[in-house]
Amino acid sequence: MKTLTIALAKGRLAELSIELFEKIGLDCAQMKEKTRKLIFNDEKNGIRYMFVKASDVPTYVEYGAADIGIVGKDTILEEGKNLYEVLDLKFGACKMCVCGWADSAVPGGYIKVASKYPNIAREYFSTKKNQTIEIIKLSGSVELAPLCGLSEVIVDIVESGKTLKENGLAVLEEICDLSARLVVNRVSLKMKKDKIMDIVNKTREIIK
Amino acid sequence: MNSWKTHTPEGVLDVLENACAFKRRIEENILNTFKASGYFEVQTPTFEFYDVFDNDNGAVDQSAMLKFFDRQGRILTLRPDLTTPIARMYATKFGGVPLPKRISYAGSAFRDGDAVAGAIQKEFTQAGIELIGNSSAAADAEVIATTIRALLACGLDEFQIDIGQAEFFKGIMAQTGLDEETIERIRKLIDQKSFVAIGEIADGYKIDKDLKELILELPNLFGDIDVIEKIKSKPLGERARAALDNLIEVYGILKDYGFEEYVSIDLGMVQGLSYYTGVIVKGFTYGVGFPVCGGGRYDNLIGEFGEPTPATGIAIGIERVISALSHKKIAQEPLVVDTLVCGEVARGTAFKIAEGLRGSGLCVEMWLGGEGAEDYAKSRGIGGIVRVVDDETIDIVNLQAGEVTRTSIFDLLGGDGR
Repeated sequence: MKTLTIALAKGRLAELSIELFEKIGLDCAQMKEKTRKLIFNDEKNGIRYMFVKASDVPTYVEYGAADIGIVGKDTILEEGKNLYEVLDLKFGACKMCVCGWADSAVPGGYIKVASKYPNIAREYFSTKKNQTIEIIKLSGSVELAPLCGLSEVIVDIVESGKTLKENGLAVLEEICDLSARLVVNRVSLKMKKDKIMDIVNKTREIIK
Repeated sequence: MNSWKTHTPEGVLDVLENACAFKRRIEENILNTFKASGYFEVQTPTFEFYDVFDNDNGAVDQSAMLKFFDRQGRILTLRPDLTTPIARMYATKFGGVPLPKRISYAGSAFRDGDAVAGAIQKEFTQAGIELIGNSSAAADAEVIATTIRALLACGLDEFQIDIGQAEFFKGIMAQTGLDEETIERIRKLIDQKSFVAIGEIADGYKIDKDLKELILELPNLFGDIDVIEKIKSKPLGERARAALDNLIEVYGILKDYGFEEYVSIDLGMVQGLSYYTGVIVKGFTYGVGFPVCGGGRYDNLIGEFGEPTPATGIAIGIERVISALSHKKIAQEPLVVDTLVCGEVARGTAFKIAEGLRGSGLCVEMWLGGEGAEDYAKSRGIGGIVRVVDDETIDIVNLQAGEVTRTSIFDLLGGDGR
């Protein structure tokens, strides 16, 4: 039997994924211990778990280094990899939004947009709004950009909206809903169909 | 400023000697398999006018093509695939040939991709076949069977060829009466096997309930031939039903070839639908995250260049086959030199000996003169040295055993040495 490799996005998503896997009867005990190991083997079930940076999950899965991955829809959209996105796991729910000064609207014309997600921002403005913009790629604390005049608006994930509010910002437009997704390599789904569909079907029952 | 002269650009590679020999062997195995079924090799230029690839039935997005200009300012393109040039070649050079026409090819194709992910190759090698002028299921099955034989000839055994049908999805979508934009959204979601999102879209439109169920089921419709049985009772229109009948027929023929163990069905295969008009094929194996081969029926392409002619074909990705084989740990035998011939004292004799040994199938290098022949041979892993002493006498140095045997050129080559 071929081993199945699952890539999990380090952090909160991994914790929720482990909970989910335990519910469908997989053994995740070793992963809950405090350790710096990145790979765990569940030899009984023939499954190997890997912890990778969230934005790398689609890459591992696209190349087949991992057969399955669990990662946020934001990362999938941003990375634009060629994957099967078979399940919406519902957890980690939030929204991708255009945000700016509260009580304002997204300005038209040529504006600067700061974001950790340049591809999503470009796609939204150019395709959906038919607006040519300049993208400023940032790596964190994107809310700062409109505050100091670096950009007119930002494109970012909004969960509670608390950070926005405390900084005088608000959601101006919603781009899409986000949540954790189960993605599968295109070859693996065919070559390891039974094992993967078993996990997919059991998971689907649980999140119903 | 940085100088790039000691680097190759992202996405292109040097192929070193052992890897190169292995790659050639794979290509030869594949081309010989093709040739044995009447697919003779042709070559098309590495670059062509951009217009060749810029058509409604094109398979490659223009942003993925590497382009440059000629002196008249016309756009040239490094070929992003080999089928389109062959369609052009066929339409313009093969007028009136007896049909069907079988053609094979092997060569580099070029696609510009993600510059950061350097592992996606911009230059890659494809070997493939085209069967032109026949629209029957027998033609599609022959192309698939020939590809299976070629993969087997390379030493792959655990692989799976998925077949789908472009007309199946097109037929069902025609039944729904949805607009093109929505159809494209559904196509993308089915292509991603995105079960949930398809449901959301389907709920938003007035579609017949049974038909909606079928669309929701589409991403799931892959596996053995039973998946076709599963949906036969659904409310399929004539077009979708004809597509299924065609798949069943192709599968039946592949069974007669004795290849059913390699063949699976995927009705959710909906990539490249503007290009494919019938059977779609993709091959998978362990150890490579990407398909090792792909193709299908493209009845509208040749018409872009001349007389409309049906055609079907498959291309094998050579680099992907190689990485699948190395995953299987199939040994790539290293290249070896058998003998080093040193003979400055009697050069004519030395050349005669070298040619004689080469004639008997050995790989022979000539020592170009000076000191150090033995050290060179040892570090290069050469088994032995033939040292010419005079016109008739030679020393054979066995480097592994450390022995020197004096003999004559006649004993070495047999006959009188002439």
